[in-house]
Amino acid sequence: MAATPALEVRDLQKSFGGVPVLSGVSLSLFPGQVTGLAGENGAGKSTLMKIATGQLHQDGGEVLIDGEVVSHADPILVRKLGVAIVPQELAPYPDLMVYENLFVGRELRGRAGLLDRRAMVVQARSMLSELGVDVDPTTRMNRLSVALTQIVEIAKATTWGAKVLCLDEPTSSIPDREVERLYAVVRKLKQQGVAMLYTTHRMAEIQELADQVVVLRDGRLELDCPLADTSEDGIVRAMIGRDLGSLFPQLTPASEEVGLKVRGLQLERGGPKVDITVNKGEILGLGGLVGAGRTEILEALFGIRRSVDGAVEAAGRAVPRNAPAQAIHRGLALVPEDRKGAGLVLERSVLDNGSLPHLSSFSIGGWIQARKRRTAVGLAMKSVSLRARGLDQTVGTLSGGNQQKVVLARWLTQTAHVLLLDEPTRGVDVGARGEIYTIIRDLAASGLAVLLVSSDMPELIGLSHRVLVVRAGGLAGELRRDDLDRDDAQEKIFRLASGQPTDVSAESPLPDSAAAEPGHSLDHPQRSSS
Amino acid sequence: MSTATATRPSDPSAPDEAPPAPTWNRTRIENLLIRNAMALVLLLVIGYFSYKSIRFATLPNLRTILIAAAPFALVALGQTLVILTGGIDLSVGSIIAISAMTGAKLVVARPEYLWLAVAAAIGVGLIAGLINGLIISRLNVAPFVATLGMLTAASGFAYVIGGGAPINGLPNEYGKIANTDILGLRAPVLIMIAGFLILGVVMKRTAFGLRIYAVGGNRTAAEVAGVNTRRTLTSVYALSGALAGLSGVILSSRVISGPPNLGSGYELYAIAAVVIGGASLMGGRGTVWGTLMGLLLIQTLNNGLDILVVPAYWQKVISGVLIVSAVAVDMWANRRATT
Repeated sequence: MAATPALEVRDLQKSFGGVPVLSGVSLSLFPGQVTGLAGENGAGKSTLMKIATGQLHQDGGEVLIDGEVVSHADPILVRKLGVAIVPQELAPYPDLMVYENLFVGRELRGRAGLLDRRAMVVQARSMLSELGVDVDPTTRMNRLSVALTQIVEIAKATTWGAKVLCLDEPTSSIPDREVERLYAVVRKLKQQGVAMLYTTHRMAEIQELADQVVVLRDGRLELDCPLADTSEDGIVRAMIGRDLGSLFPQLTPASEEVGLKVRGLQLERGGPKVDITVNKGEILGLGGLVGAGRTEILEALFGIRRSVDGAVEAAGRAVPRNAPAQAIHRGLALVPEDRKGAGLVLERSVLDNGSLPHLSSFSIGGWIQARKRRTAVGLAMKSVSLRARGLDQTVGTLSGGNQQKVVLARWLTQTAHVLLLDEPTRGVDVGARGEIYTIIRDLAASGLAVLLVSSDMPELIGLSHRVLVVRAGGLAGELRRDDLDRDDAQEKIFRLASGQPTDVSAESPLPDSAAAEPGHSLDHPQRSSS
Repeated sequence: MSTATATRPSDPSAPDEAPPAPTWNRTRIENLLIRNAMALVLLLVIGYFSYKSIRFATLPNLRTILIAAAPFALVALGQTLVILTGGIDLSVGSIIAISAMTGAKLVVARPEYLWLAVAAAIGVGLIAGLINGLIISRLNVAPFVATLGMLTAASGFAYVIGGGAPINGLPNEYGKIANTDILGLRAPVLIMIAGFLILGVVMKRTAFGLRIYAVGGNRTAAEVAGVNTRRTLTSVYALSGALAGLSGVILSSRVISGPPNLGSGYELYAIAAVVIGGASLMGGRGTVWGTLMGLLLIQTLNNGLDILVVPAYWQKVISGVLIVSAVAVDMWANRRATT
């Protein structure tokens, strides 16, 4: 390739606290080309992007923008040179308008130095329409869906004059149905000659958008070739260093004994009543649209969300409602959807996090019995083959998959009867995902009743003995294992979940959202709660 | 790393091999110094004062520093726990006053029940703290607001108890509480040492301590793990109130009277000590030992500047600048240590 790369990195080296994160990574981004950057969590993708955009300084190697060496890490300088990043965790100003978000930091001023709002609105409108997005610039940012928020952030970056754009997992929190809108924007930018580095976990996205594929593993470049020269399997193999095999383990048959019995659970007066029975050893999936009330059911069972009526029994013993400590005592365990927000105390150690739910069983009169606690937590963590430097490692420094293992295993220090799982593999990479499925299967096989909420259709269908579909807080239908094995399982779940397929597009708050394709996704555009 | 990659199919970010055995090389020593930056700052300050004045580094002067530190120490200990939960307790200064006034009033009325008056004074602090805690944990009022309200209200009460004037005529026995020597140490100093030891162990070895860290680190996660976060929060504020009450007894015993403005401004000194000690105002990070370090730094500064006969107003300026610089050094050191 004769052209000068818009951005080039040569032989990058970076370590944190002696642990190498990047070892000798070189790659080039060319104008009008999308480079898909794949790799598992912890492979070094984010570090690479941070170095490329001047947020981190490399230990060795160099960064070149338009053929010129960038001498020191300086995000402002790098942005001036035309390299921008749209981070995974977006940081919009939710209470400001869209145009204000677009112009923060380079506001247009009129006479007397006051803000020229009208000019900003006009310019914002043309910026957005250039990207093919029909959003009124005077909408409040928090009214937009995640996808549109993402697009506004991209617009912000490009209108600063970015010639190179780093997108860090832009679709990680966007429902499938909205992903197309983002693709369209990426293609537009490509036509305009922007070079893009696009990080993702999803194979489909690489196939859809990328010209060039780059795979990192353990901080090394495993693959760098045109998309046409590789296959999906090749990419996955480069990512995890082995063949994937089947993601879902063989299920073991459930027992006849009842593990969890829920009768007439009602979250609010006049609301629907929910009856659920899960046998020991059974994995019962809860399907439904995001916002249908699945998470709420789990939280009510566990007692952290108030319920007004109903009876819950775990392994034959009544579980008091609205009392999480009692629920834990009766053998209920919850793995919440928001691992970092609701699952772990990130600054504490594996040991502390692992012992928190059953703290009283490791302490006498409030005194923690150090050895007993260490042994029990150690065993539990071993049973899920946690990879950590030791029990004293801070949980925040573990990878997503390992964090999830801690959230799971901490319930296993005492006898658990019922496992409530809410989106157990969200943000977990492919390799660890299979492992977590096996752990869930093994836990069920050991006699736990498992209730699984998942918006990932293959996961729901592949891992469950049985699926109940939730709609508007109540149960809309049931699919048994033989229903799940049929090809139309996804479509059937979707139809139950939405009442009828045509309802869904009417519910959508987007002005021009594509009509929902049945069986394509169960995600609702607003992803704030499920 | 490179040899291990072949056997490790996934999760490169979390190596499972044991960390290499520590060796005494330059980076390790550097790290050690950086980790203990605040102790270094304290040593520098001590070194400077010892060099400037022969009266500084003497045993009697150490006693003076510790005696002056004791009432602050109790308040700072309570504040440490509160700040670890992500809260703040602005009311401790007024709680000192209201406890001291209660104790003084009771002991003047019935001198024969001295210890009952002391218990009542601490009890008043406990109740004020309990009210703080209940308002914060049950009504979800922000700790800043709730304790600001208590700061104002309790101060008002302190004046009400004394009818707007200090309470005088306390029996001599009351004055002995803070001025008795046991094992060569003044009683408040012993109480301070005991307080640090007890809470140091509580934070490290008990379920209560871990729950405080958990609530401060991530309240939602603590709730999901079955921690009774409301109870934890309430106890922490109640404890802070009771310690302020004890501090009030010591201070009023020292002056053998009950001035209604006793302890005013202590809350900010206590917060400063905790923050200098490396605690995060967001909660979840900090230790009792850090607070001890911060407290000693502030007290050493005050004492040293006194000895050098620096005018009082300049002392304030210097203390203010040094407090911020000390925390800035700590922050810088922390950044060095993590990147």
